Amino acid sequence: MSDLEKKIDIGDGAAIPDPKDRGLFSAWWIALIGTISLLVFLPMFKPDPYGKVLLFIPDGILITFEVTILSISLALVIGLVTGLGRISTNRFFNLTASLYVEVVRGIPLLVQLFYIYFALGRFVLVPDLVAAVIAMSFCYGAYMGEVFRAGIKSIDFGQTEASLSLGFNQRQTMTYVILPQAWRTILPPVGNEFIALLKDTSLVSILAVSDILRRGREYASESFNYFETYTMIALVYLLITLILSKLISNMEHRLSYYERR
Amino acid sequence: MNAADPIIQIQNINKYFGSFKALDDVSLDVTVGEKVVVLGPSGSGKSTLLRAINKLETISSGSIIVDGHDLYDPAEDINRIRMELGMVFQSFNLFRHKTVLENLTLAPIKLKKMSKEEADQLALRLLDKVGIRDRAEHYPLQLSGGQQQRVAIARALAMEPKIMLFDEPTSALDPEMIGEVLEVMVTLAHEGMTMVVVTHEMGFAREVADQVVFMDEGAIVEMAAPDIFFDNPKYDRTKLFLEQIL
Amino acid sequence: MLKKALLTLVALSVLCGSAWAETKIVFAVDATWPPMEFVNSQKEIVGFAIDFLKAAGKEAGFTPVFKNTSWDGIFAGLASGKYDAISSSVSITEARKKAMDFSAPYFTVQQALIVNKDSSVRSLADLKGKKVGGQIGTTGYFAIKAAEGLTPKSYDEIGLAMEDLNVGRISAVVCDDPVAANYALIKYKDTLKIAAVIKTGEVENYGFAVKKGNSKVLDLLNKGIAAVKAKGIDLELKKKWIGQ
Repeated sequence: MSDLEKKIDIGDGAAIPDPKDRGLFSAWWIALIGTISLLVFLPMFKPDPYGKVLLFIPDGILITFEVTILSISLALVIGLVTGLGRISTNRFFNLTASLYVEVVRGIPLLVQLFYIYFALGRFVLVPDLVAAVIAMSFCYGAYMGEVFRAGIKSIDFGQTEASLSLGFNQRQTMTYVILPQAWRTILPPVGNEFIALLKDTSLVSILAVSDILRRGREYASESFNYFETYTMIALVYLLITLILSKLISNMEHRLSYYERR
Repeated sequence: MNAADPIIQIQNINKYFGSFKALDDVSLDVTVGEKVVVLGPSGSGKSTLLRAINKLETISSGSIIVDGHDLYDPAEDINRIRMELGMVFQSFNLFRHKTVLENLTLAPIKLKKMSKEEADQLALRLLDKVGIRDRAEHYPLQLSGGQQQRVAIARALAMEPKIMLFDEPTSALDPEMIGEVLEVMVTLAHEGMTMVVVTHEMGFAREVADQVVFMDEGAIVEMAAPDIFFDNPKYDRTKLFLEQIL
Repeated sequence: MLKKALLTLVALSVLCGSAWAETKIVFAVDATWPPMEFVNSQKEIVGFAIDFLKAAGKEAGFTPVFKNTSWDGIFAGLASGKYDAISSSVSITEARKKAMDFSAPYFTVQQALIVNKDSSVRSLADLKGKKVGGQIGTTGYFAIKAAEGLTPKSYDEIGLAMEDLNVGRISAVVCDDPVAANYALIKYKDTLKIAAVIKTGEVENYGFAVKKGNSKVLDLLNKGIAAVKAKGIDLELKKKWIGQ
């Protein structure tokens, strides 16, 4: 593993279980089993309010997933373009991409959400869910751009030279040689961003988008069962991120096929 | 173009890295079928010269014409010219995410629009030639260095180039693997391939080269047939170099 | 010189402290509810309820201290003892009475339906299939949820719901009538209007909420409220803040 690879391995998402790391691996199992048991037993022994909370939030879970999936897809596209821009020798393209990253990274996500929803709402009216997705992917696109940039740069320049020497142009080299390899390097940080994004979607509840957190808050505000409600909300988020981190680690293992001897 | 004209014409090229002069007024002609071996201490500019031939390195002044195409003519498509120039690198640079077979077929399929079957056949024939057909489905990192370099040679040959450029092809290899790679190169030479080889392998130079070029400090010091070069060098710098290396 | 002045100041404040040895009551306020409680351009928390409590404090012998708190979680903070009481236009409802104690009512409200100026909507029934907004955990929002066939949308602050109504993301907002009047008649007077007052059959009153069993604070509050009402101060304040 190169230095760069190590560097971009650190994300702000949940710790992705590494099959080789026994400590984290078992921590994952303990967390999973603990979360599932709490989610099952709490409502069983105290249906009111634990069971009621669970019944109140399913549509919120759907919304959270919807926002997450749409945002990550869009953020990946934006990130790829931005990452390519950041390494581009075209001054205009490079400057635009760098400016975008600079601006977005300097503004808190919450402020961006408010801005796109309320401030721009004066000029263009977008539905709340669309506003949420635009804001999330706009913000995460910049982070993804940096991940892509680091991923592409982590591929040995010899690969580019070999490709060029065969007669491929820059674009073909990127498509056939660099990006397929960069994916492997990029996947762990992208996975981390994915999980971080899922957690950050809880911020969209501020836009009156009915995600998991908003549903929970609505329930709590009516029942005054704050402790019980937020316990269940936390457990639901935890269960989702635990499963996701496992899926990502499996995918990562599959993608590294060519490094196994 | 005349049949007798050189296929590579390098005229008075200079190359600066900042204020460092990497190539100093170098001129060199290579004719069809000729094998030129470039020798010299490290930092002498021999790799820069080789890489300038397929424009992986751009030059500061002078001209390079390959097979009648001026590398610095804006109307020329450098990617087309590069298809005529196979290149083998010191560190193999095989595509790590592709199998051995795919390493060979990628360029013919994408660039020459060859069918997959045709490309596979060509690739297998070439793998046979370099003696690792049985590793066709392996990934590069599963092969030894010598095997990887032989695949790299086969990959370059798959584009059926007119010229092969070798940039210190054995320098990164364990000693016991050097032989298998040189063997492939010797075979290639005997088949009549035009070759420019940067190397430290004196035995190879003596056996295969038509011309030996000795470079130092970015300039060509001496150029001669191998028997003259090795047994009766003209210049002191060449003598000193040969003393140190032999 | 400066030191001396500082010492005097400290001495004074100590003296004052003992002179005003009456109870301080900390009130949580979600100051986004004009004209009942809001932050003015001088960044002070002002409004009808604020003046009301200051008057009540003078009568009953306590000093109200106001702590701006977001609505969502204001009740949780009371339960965990972060403040003594809530003064935030809390309507007295049966559900809330189970979780906290309320003072005597200090203001009577109705739920008002606010729509765009060009809208023909006259009641909640006209809004079937439409999005209607209210502040999370308010009686206005509960009224929307109780109505059939519309899509309720909860907001953290009533102002955000008003803005969404103003730009057209939602079709109506339901909230307490003094607040509705403030938005529809002042802030958005060119674009919004009050379409109707929603009849719920029950009288809805604001009360100050205290933690269950906190009779000490509750008694002080009730004493103050009674005195303010007896002296007619509440009517003066109504005139000042609501203009009726």
